[in-house]
Amino acid sequence: MIETARYLASRLVTTALIVFGAMLLLFTLSAIVPGDPASALLGPQATPEYRAQFIKDMGLDRPFHERLLVFFGNLLTGNLGTDILSGKPVWSIISSVLPFTFILTFAAIGLAVLLGVPLGCFAAVRRGSIFDHILAFISVAFIAIPSFVIAIFLLLIFSIWLDWLPVLGEGKSGDWLDQARRLILPTTALAVGWIGFIARLVRTSMLEVMGENYIRTSRAYGLSERLVTYKYALKNACIPTIAILGMGVGRLLGGAVLVEIVFSRPGLGRLIFDAIATRNYPVLQGAVFVVVLIFVVTNLLVDLSYSAIDPRIRRQAGREAMPR
Amino acid sequence: MSIAAPASQSGTLAEVLGVFRRIASTFTGTMGLFIVAMVISAAIFAPWITPYDPDALDVMRRFQNPSATHWLGTDHLGRDLFSRLIMGSRIAMAVALSAIAIAMITGTLLGIAAASLPAHIERIILILFDVIASFPSLVLALAVVAVFGPSTQLVVVIVAVTLIPVFGRVARAQVLTINNAPYIEAERLLGASYARIVVSHLLPNIAGPLVVLASMEIPVVITIEAGLSFIGLGVRPPLASWGTLIYDGYAYLSDSKLPVIIASSALGLATLGFTLFGEALRDAVDPRLNRDH
Amino acid sequence: MEAASSPLVRIRHLSLDAATARGDAHILRDLSLDVGRGRILGIVGESGSGKSTLASVLLRLLPGNISRLDGEVLFDGVDLLKLGPDAMNAYRGTRIAMIFQDPMTALNPLFTVGTHLVDVMRRRDPGLSRVEALAKGEAMLTTVGIPDPALRMQAYPHQLSGGMRQRIMIAMALLVQPDLLIADEPTTALDATVEAQIVELFEHLREKFAGSIMFISHHLGLVAELCDDLCVMYGGVIVESGPVDAVLAKPGHPYTRALLDCEIDDDGEGRLVSIPGDVPDPVAALTACVFAPRCAHAIDICRADVPLLAAVAPNHLSACLRASEVLP
Repeated sequence: MIETARYLASRLVTTALIVFGAMLLLFTLSAIVPGDPASALLGPQATPEYRAQFIKDMGLDRPFHERLLVFFGNLLTGNLGTDILSGKPVWSIISSVLPFTFILTFAAIGLAVLLGVPLGCFAAVRRGSIFDHILAFISVAFIAIPSFVIAIFLLLIFSIWLDWLPVLGEGKSGDWLDQARRLILPTTALAVGWIGFIARLVRTSMLEVMGENYIRTSRAYGLSERLVTYKYALKNACIPTIAILGMGVGRLLGGAVLVEIVFSRPGLGRLIFDAIATRNYPVLQGAVFVVVLIFVVTNLLVDLSYSAIDPRIRRQAGREAMPR
Repeated sequence: MSIAAPASQSGTLAEVLGVFRRIASTFTGTMGLFIVAMVISAAIFAPWITPYDPDALDVMRRFQNPSATHWLGTDHLGRDLFSRLIMGSRIAMAVALSAIAIAMITGTLLGIAAASLPAHIERIILILFDVIASFPSLVLALAVVAVFGPSTQLVVVIVAVTLIPVFGRVARAQVLTINNAPYIEAERLLGASYARIVVSHLLPNIAGPLVVLASMEIPVVITIEAGLSFIGLGVRPPLASWGTLIYDGYAYLSDSKLPVIIASSALGLATLGFTLFGEALRDAVDPRLNRDH
Repeated sequence: MEAASSPLVRIRHLSLDAATARGDAHILRDLSLDVGRGRILGIVGESGSGKSTLASVLLRLLPGNISRLDGEVLFDGVDLLKLGPDAMNAYRGTRIAMIFQDPMTALNPLFTVGTHLVDVMRRRDPGLSRVEALAKGEAMLTTVGIPDPALRMQAYPHQLSGGMRQRIMIAMALLVQPDLLIADEPTTALDATVEAQIVELFEHLREKFAGSIMFISHHLGLVAELCDDLCVMYGGVIVESGPVDAVLAKPGHPYTRALLDCEIDDDGEGRLVSIPGDVPDPVAALTACVFAPRCAHAIDICRADVPLLAAVAPNHLSACLRASEVLP
């Protein structure tokens, strides 16, 4: 119990340090922009009075260390600033689109695990068969091709050419079925690369595990092949999968950004994209902060769940191609 | 990773040929090799094989279908798609290779430093690696581009920065492993300086894994660059990468789907080819790195 | 089911080859032995003698590169080698149980001791409820000398020491009440002190366990303590077999004699004795006495023909042509 608490504490501290470091990096980058930040943010048409007011409001005339302190002070109190354009608090803007990104990401992970694990398991059990070879090739193809390219092709094929599924946007709110339908293509596009990746990973792990001594023990006692494979071996094989999934959440978020844009879905990705286009600096900063936070917290949760499943907390580093 | 005996310089050509032979021995390896060769040739010989100037506008002839004069048709400004496609391969290769080169050199140096210098410096470097790795590369790219404004060089630098931890960790691991090898101990006892050990033993041994890593990162870089260009934040005109082509084509999807299809296909094929090649290379150089069999 | 006096296991002319890069390796060569009911048979041999493979044959858990498997392995009258996969599987974990050499890797790290034991017990008795199985498991843990059994049942393997893990393996084997218990070098991976404890455990169980035991080891002294009968293996061949007292008192084969000399003797000068030479190459075919290259007593006939097992005394067999002449 104590060792778990200590591990948890050390992970929390590391997490906080990483978030702190990342935000420091971001803030420093923004502060050393050559030239006049106000012009960059407001554009050349702003009147001198407006600019002066803006500089005062944004605290851009204060010295760097003061701005830094204010920035972090705000972060800690949960104040992410105010949107320049609409005047609304940044946090409320972010929180209104956050659910969409979450839904897409979780749906994609869920789909990837749901399809990838059985496929990989099956390929391992039927090693060397036609199925195994086909899966191997498809896996690489899925992993290699960027998810937004897959998204574009899915869009072209299923929505435009075949007209099976509605394409853009998130659907009418309150209409559950409509929203679900519009989720299908984006989720598939995001998940496809991960299905291939998980399948390969599970297959490799299963093959390794099946050769281990503890599986030999189970076989020596005559336990059924089904029990040996699906209860014992699969659990051992899933460990590296979870670890690498955790490491891949960041890439998933990156992919989600582009997929949201392809399908015109609202979400964190779209928000960042629009904020860049309109030079909406507070929103951009806030959104990036939230992304970093999500990413780091997810890693933490993955680490913890991982140690719950594998009592020995064993880490594996993958040096394989990952989906983009 | 195990340590081979110190690499010999003679016979390196034979080694390289052997590697290529092994790559070509599998179906996927051959496919990857073929695609990579095509893309690299297109990139190198671009100025000579493009039938038109990629930026030449001819608004009278927009959205043409493929024909004898325009092999892949034209885009919304009448520019020849085939030429722009070839140009795109040049951009992809240029960005990928320069970003990876920067990352490899910087990352390796940092990795060696991390393994060789006192513990507190090592911790700082490792935390730096973790911080960089904590940003999804696309988001980092977006953030930096938002602040500094989009530019081609910036894209290269951002991508390089995101790859530094990847190379750095591998380099550090190799140094740590080698530091413990008996023959290194022997050399130290004989008085060899640290720098000499690094240069004559570490670098040859690390070259293999680094090359494999580099080739496996090429499709990643291509993807990031294409992704950025796709949302309008990548390379600036007149340069046109495949991502830009998709971006342009996407806006005019209702007029013609061809530009999007062509550019997406090129992108997908290139990333597939490089990934296949990278994996075949990894298997050919050191089958032990591959746990798939 | 055979008569109670006949051997439980009768192996006749067992030959096993494995395909390797250099050709077929002859791991077991025309091997024959008996395991008496309720008796403990010790099998002694150095690394490479094929003794672990012999154990694997009894369970028919062999690697994929086996190119030849001939002979008879009669278990209570049934030839195990002729059984189909399902029929063979029916014997595993019911009538035959095995304890492996390395306790550190023999248990699945993600499952508790309790889960391991319950699954094994329920395979043998499908009607057993989980609660009953847990109770039986706990009782058996006590029998094998594990303190605080309730706590241990919930433990994961990595939380236990090597000696304790091996006790759990022994408990697992005993729980299925096999007719034949195979212990494949159960103490080799353990420290000397722990080894002594496990040996003590085996002695303690000797009275309680009704079935036969096949105890494989490279340690002659260990086998001498525990076993009723003894088989000495060398190069995939059985060179001597018989009751343990008889064999050790009057060894009928130079290899056995040499092994005895190798055991460190307290009263001696303190010099370590070793047998010069190397184990035979398994890929080479056998045309002469397998021990001849290293034997101090080898003469021409030893190198001309393969000696067969012949009796030097009642129930005491030796594969040496010169047994009566050269050994005191």
